[in-house]
Amino acid sequence: MLELIHSIREKSRELLAAGRVDGVLCLARDRFDVVQPRLILRAEKTGSIETSPKWNLAKLALRTLRRAGPSFRLAVACRGCDERALLELAKRNQFDPTRITLLGYTCSREQAESCLCDRPYPEKPAAGEKIEGVDPFADPRVSALLTGDEGERTARWTGLLGRCIKCYGCRNACPICVCTPCKLEDDLWVERAVVPTELIPYHLIRAFHLSDTCVACGACQDACPVGIPLLALQLVMRRRLRERYGYEAGLEADRKSPLLMDFDHASPAGFELPAWTVSSEAPHER
Amino acid sequence: MNAPETTDKKPSPRVLVFACRWCALIGADAAGRKKTELPASFRVIPVECASMVEPDSVLRALASGADGVAVMGCHLGGCRFNDANHVAVKRMEALGDLLDTVGIGRRRLLLSFGTAHEGHEFAEVLGNFLRELGPLPELTRWRKTLLNLPAFR
Repeated sequence: MLELIHSIREKSRELLAAGRVDGVLCLARDRFDVVQPRLILRAEKTGSIETSPKWNLAKLALRTLRRAGPSFRLAVACRGCDERALLELAKRNQFDPTRITLLGYTCSREQAESCLCDRPYPEKPAAGEKIEGVDPFADPRVSALLTGDEGERTARWTGLLGRCIKCYGCRNACPICVCTPCKLEDDLWVERAVVPTELIPYHLIRAFHLSDTCVACGACQDACPVGIPLLALQLVMRRRLRERYGYEAGLEADRKSPLLMDFDHASPAGFELPAWTVSSEAPHER
Repeated sequence: MNAPETTDKKPSPRVLVFACRWCALIGADAAGRKKTELPASFRVIPVECASMVEPDSVLRALASGADGVAVMGCHLGGCRFNDANHVAVKRMEALGDLLDTVGIGRRRLLLSFGTAHEGHEFAEVLGNFLRELGPLPELTRWRKTLLNLPAFR
């Protein structure tokens, strides 16, 4: 662990000293002993860099790049989930990926278990060894939420989602929720200034918008003040995308989402209709 | 003198139909011209293409009182906009996963593809859908907006 931190500090120092980047976005300990995200601009300050706690930096990186001038180059010292989130943001033209240098570090076994992460490492780690991930569906915290028939599920999820105080924390914490304007702030979809919120529009629209983008970092559920297990909704949709199309958000930079974006290569041949579709492939002369 | 007959039958389920205007909507018209018998509890919204129907609209309809939502387009391979209706299939399929997870169930979402001169198919598919929705419980738990106190544990 200490080696990993030293390696990240050293690499950040080298990048800044060589002038290859103008700033390093990372977690750092300040003089009050508080660890929080900081933008480090000078090489001699890199000794304060930390790698925990978990803190999603993707949205901050985006904001930093937008506020700084177009020539500002940024290094981000982050975990694997941040790397995937940044890749998804770049795919959606939120920033120019050539301006970002990634200093990814791997997570430990305990960290992977606490996040239920099946990929606790960046694709090209700058520090640390890749370790095997955790299967989130094997964990009772997730699998218990996904059992039962429609009645039981409705009772469970209306109870869980009914706790919501509509703080928009899940949306704000999500590294990928960056749309402006946001549908959750539009009276047509979700009535504003009404608490508690309507369950279907607020929660299911939010969950569906991330169905093919979610990198399963768990920031939404970490941010939730009433402890709604929001990640379970995303995990199911992620698994289905992987089963159906072999697609996983945040891995392939040049592959568009098969769900929403791919208007060009959906070949009619070989595409299997889901069983619930009622297709009217009846003979015409009836 | 007989008392007027009363029925305790549940009102027929309310269904919102998004019909692509190139095929399914013409099919719906054809069903009407043939005077096909159908429950009167569905409403049709014409759209340019089934792929324009955002899953958000389906969710909004369910929240606003629809018991089921039907999205109807052209035959796969017969879309006016190349392969756009494939996108509709993929999106709605993913939405079905979400509906299944939370317990609303993808049975409340009908995806169907036909051509303009298949009015009888439109009537049959929609009639079956309405019959399937009949026995399903209402979505009151999902629509209730009062603070659900027992959920605070």
